[in-house]
Amino acid sequence: MTTLSKPIKKHSPVAQNAMSFYQQQVEALIASESDVALVAFRQQASQHFAEQGFPTRRDEDWKYTPLNAFLQTHYHRTGVAHVSDVDIKPFLPPFDVMHLVFVDGYFSERFSDDLSELPDGLSIESVKDALDFKQGYTAFLSHEMGIEKEAFGTLNSMLFDDGVVIQLEPHCVVERPILCTYVQTQNEHANTIRNRVTLAHGAQLTLLQQHVSLNNELNAFDNVVTEINVAENALLNQVVLQALNSSSVYFGLQFVDQAKNSMFRTHYIGLGSSLSRHQNVLRMTEEHIESEQSSACFANGQQIMDTRTHTEHQAWWGKSRQLHKLVLDDHAVGVFNGMIKVAREAQKTDGQMDNKNLLLSDKAKVDSKPQLEIYADDVKCSHGSASGQISDEQIFYLRARGINADDARRLVTQAFLLEPLESISLTPVRHWLAEKLMHKLNA
Amino acid sequence: MLLNINNLHAQVEEKSILKGINLQLNPGEVHAIMGPNGSGKSTLSSVLAGREEYEVTEGSVQYDGEDLLEMDAEARARRGVFLAFQYPVEIPGVSNKLFMQTALNAVRNARGQPPLDMFDFEQVAAEQMKKLEMSPVMLERSVNVGFSGGEKKRNDIFQMAMLEPKLCIMDETDSGLDIDALRIVAEGVNALRSPDRSFLIVTHYQRLLDYIKPDHVHVLYDGQIIKSGGFELAQELEEKGYDHLIQAYQEA
Repeated sequence: MTTLSKPIKKHSPVAQNAMSFYQQQVEALIASESDVALVAFRQQASQHFAEQGFPTRRDEDWKYTPLNAFLQTHYHRTGVAHVSDVDIKPFLPPFDVMHLVFVDGYFSERFSDDLSELPDGLSIESVKDALDFKQGYTAFLSHEMGIEKEAFGTLNSMLFDDGVVIQLEPHCVVERPILCTYVQTQNEHANTIRNRVTLAHGAQLTLLQQHVSLNNELNAFDNVVTEINVAENALLNQVVLQALNSSSVYFGLQFVDQAKNSMFRTHYIGLGSSLSRHQNVLRMTEEHIESEQSSACFANGQQIMDTRTHTEHQAWWGKSRQLHKLVLDDHAVGVFNGMIKVAREAQKTDGQMDNKNLLLSDKAKVDSKPQLEIYADDVKCSHGSASGQISDEQIFYLRARGINADDARRLVTQAFLLEPLESISLTPVRHWLAEKLMHKLNA
Repeated sequence: MLLNINNLHAQVEEKSILKGINLQLNPGEVHAIMGPNGSGKSTLSSVLAGREEYEVTEGSVQYDGEDLLEMDAEARARRGVFLAFQYPVEIPGVSNKLFMQTALNAVRNARGQPPLDMFDFEQVAAEQMKKLEMSPVMLERSVNVGFSGGEKKRNDIFQMAMLEPKLCIMDETDSGLDIDALRIVAEGVNALRSPDRSFLIVTHYQRLLDYIKPDHVHVLYDGQIIKSGGFELAQELEEKGYDHLIQAYQEA
């Protein structure tokens, strides 16, 4: 008889160095921490990380997303650098928002709007405050969403410094979008952010999150985990704009739990980073839940962009929609991975997932893996993936009407990339994002 | 003379297709090119519109006093050459409105006219669409996406009306159209006929010509024009087919 044991993962010296570096970081953090529960939480994550380590290219989910370059840089946590209003202003969108600013991972009261005058039913606080005052504390640390399955989720649990806790009471409808701006200002700095967003039943919110770098020289590491809870009849519209400079690294993990008759819509716009990975995990646990997850990413140079979704339909009459688009130029690499799981109890599920990629150069590469796993027998699910180049026929059609070849290509590429934004109902938000995408495309 | 094609030879992938075409169009004239499949009809429209996969090996084409073959496709379009496609192309995500406004302003710019803003453009577009019995929602929709065969061709005629070309080349525009769509395309063409606009209508069938009544009809066979005549030649072909003409040509 043979005994089945977990194969021992072999890590390169570079990976081992990086692992011990982050373990040292957590030890220092724990040493300065007085809160017993938080210490226990970080210790548990640290133990798990010691066993789990960083993924290698032998891990199926990391085959096309190499971490070598990331592991060679050790990203410190040194606290907030000095920035001024002039530095922050350019990141503000041209429409009215409630603005929350995080500098190098920490909530900045100075640059954020006044949180003492919020609409009734809305509460916003930094994670640091939430932990200090032990409000919703237990809820914040206890989760069962599988964060620990993801190495960067574990790393986040070990090292998170700050983040935002947003809570909406029942039937609280917030008209003005909340915008969280995460600004990187220091080189080789880790910004580890943990957010929690809770909408009680009947509540409605538009949440915008943008990741930006203060300049093009620094190389920093944003590691963000956002836990989202959308209760019965609630509606959350979310946008994540990843507009870091092209040297930085972005890892974003979102865990979303939805209840009956709720609607969750999320759009991810990927522009920056040398290496980025944005991942949604959705659990649609009750009846009549609707969700949309879409993305529009443009990678050029040597950028690697990875977008992935995991959607679990667990009850009757669920509906999920996904449209993911990637445009790749130069030597860029794109990765898409999507899984729709339909449980046996999830009859009448209507799930659609589409991934379309446009390659503008012969050297660009894309790897796409859409998957369905269906255990119910009365469902309507589809998935598709198509990658290709701009069609010569389309370009000729436009040129035959007087449009020059460069403009024709731009028109077709723009149209391709902007399509996922069409489902954003707030026009100023849609225009703002389209502007960002077109700015990079036309640069 | 608007168009002067002289001894035009062209090939695609080393295969010689046009073998010495001679054709002259004066402003305001409507010429039809007819011929059996494989005679070189579509190659002729493609070469005139500037498709780059066709190589001209001999001969010349003068358009409005200039060397047409020296210009790329967009330069031809800006100088007033319009190709109505046999198969209009779908362009997902690009609205008809953005497409036509961009195209019209490129053409206007070449003519030294100021660009039209969205408001003026929409007004002009709405008038033309009404004439062509097109629903105004077509302007908001992606170019040709989800359009029926007839709607696509009508969209091409709409573009023609908007760009006001001097030379319209219709590349088997009638293929795949039902009788109502054919009537609308023909009425569109007839409405655009004017003393300073010429048409070159390439077709396999006489149907479209019954509505348009061309001034001149040419029969293309094996890359050459083997017979030219008036509208009566199209009627003769409808009765007798191409065979007797081809036979006569081969015997000669």
